[in-house]
Amino acid sequence: MEIIRLDNVSYYYKAYNDDGTVGSAVGVEGVTLSVEEGDFVALVGHNGCGKSTLAKLLNGLLLPQSGVVTVNGLKTSEKENIFEIRKNVGMVFQNPDNQMVASIVEEDVAFGPENLGVPQKEIAERVYDALEQVGMSDYAKSSPHRLSGGQKQRIAIAGALAIRPKVLVLDESTAMLDPLGRKEVLEVAHKLNAQGMTVVLITHFMEEVLDCDSVVVMNGGHVVSVGTPNEIFDNRSLLDEVGLRAPRTVELAQKLSEAGFDVNARERDARKLGGDVCLNLKK
Amino acid sequence: MLRDVTFGQYYPADSFVHKMDARIKLVLTLLYMVGIFFVQSFVVFGFVTVLLLAVVLVSRVPLRSVLRSVRGIVVLLVFTAILNLFFTKGADASEQPLWAWSPWNGFTIEIYVNGLKSAAKIFLRLVYLVVGSCILTLTTTPVDLTHAVESLLKPLRVVKFPVHEFALIMSLTLSFIPSLIEETDRIIRAQKARGADFDTGGLVKRAKAFVPILIPLLVGGFRRAEELANAMNSRCYEGATKRTCMRVMKLSWRDLVASLVMVIFFTGVFLLYGMSSKWGGIVWLYY
Repeated sequence: MEIIRLDNVSYYYKAYNDDGTVGSAVGVEGVTLSVEEGDFVALVGHNGCGKSTLAKLLNGLLLPQSGVVTVNGLKTSEKENIFEIRKNVGMVFQNPDNQMVASIVEEDVAFGPENLGVPQKEIAERVYDALEQVGMSDYAKSSPHRLSGGQKQRIAIAGALAIRPKVLVLDESTAMLDPLGRKEVLEVAHKLNAQGMTVVLITHFMEEVLDCDSVVVMNGGHVVSVGTPNEIFDNRSLLDEVGLRAPRTVELAQKLSEAGFDVNARERDARKLGGDVCLNLKK
Repeated sequence: MLRDVTFGQYYPADSFVHKMDARIKLVLTLLYMVGIFFVQSFVVFGFVTVLLLAVVLVSRVPLRSVLRSVRGIVVLLVFTAILNLFFTKGADASEQPLWAWSPWNGFTIEIYVNGLKSAAKIFLRLVYLVVGSCILTLTTTPVDLTHAVESLLKPLRVVKFPVHEFALIMSLTLSFIPSLIEETDRIIRAQKARGADFDTGGLVKRAKAFVPILIPLLVGGFRRAEELANAMNSRCYEGATKRTCMRVMKLSWRDLVASLVMVIFFTGVFLLYGMSSKWGGIVWLYY
């Protein structure tokens, strides 16, 4: 079932030209996109390509200036739908410090359900469920600013989960994290996806794209390509054009296979690839 | 220097004071702060010291973190103490100053016994005010404090005072203090790395040197505010309407005990104050 649908959506920002006149800058332009329930979709592109604008259009933080965004059958342009839409689309942003509303983990996670008007007893239940899902139950009473970046971001995910959304949008949520923190957050995202959550992962790390169901490539506010990770990695002229590179292992496997080595061009496990190369050399 | 600001920094522990209802703690702290101004003599200050130490002990907050809060007002302390020292005259005109110095004709600096006493008292009063309120913030999470303020201000809703919004602003301010301090530290270091000089030159030059800190801090603050607003909106924030609350505040025996102790103590303080001003006879009240 289709859960999110964008029809020819455009959004322009106000921009000031050098001579002081007001012009506009493209946020996104003519984007048509559909996300199926249960999918793990990655949205990639260079800085300023419109990824984050697109994310903000998904839960009505920004409203399309033309076109229609539909979430679970509800249009974001209708004001009375917004609350329902935000209940369905949980969002986690880039800077973990700027999303914390409380200075105790469990109180922060409780913020969403409190806003929904959930009865007091059920809030605690939701909070502990959510913390359990991101593996942070032990930190319920700690203060967020003493945690690591990856832990803070998992708390932010728990904050979104406590609302019980159908879609989780991670808007560059891994961009400010160290490799370990990134791994933690991605593992949580994949685990949630395995349990049926639709995940939209916005990122500029191509390694994170590997295990996604589909990849949306954006450039200059336009969607330039949609496909499986393999389809996107194989289309090297496209990647060059938008200034992205396939993950190192993928690139290496592709090049080795082109050079006549007997390796799987789709191999993603670096260790396995190394083994295959050695076997080739032995022959 | 910036790390010394403990205000708004919760010290997690499992103690009698931590478990008390935040509303009671807030009211008792207010009672304490008013009470401090009715303390007239060093003997009673001694009693207050014993009370404070007992509270700190029961709260299981290390004395060091409590005292650290005083560092923030050192300048104020020294300033007010000095003013009191030099500008308090003797009890009557016949009293001789302890020390006097006349740098030129018609101008004398004099120190009286009274000045010494009032300087010491104002010093103690300010320190005790800060320490007392600091115990509240060290043992109460900003969120609890906010709930307490919200709950105590509820009657004001009748006059359309935005109680919930006020409480939320308070809580956000408190919880953003650590990250803002961190950011200020970072900006200072970044500017120093580029050769900014904050420690030399006259007052004007030094004040000007802080502009390159304030501007990035302000700009960063606006960026933060926008991101926070987005995050809050994304989590279905729609103001106070139909909002529920995870935490239920319940009074317990602890609150009763603490209230009794504090009320009895400060009733004593108020009574002594009343007696001393009425009769002036109980001599030790003045020392």
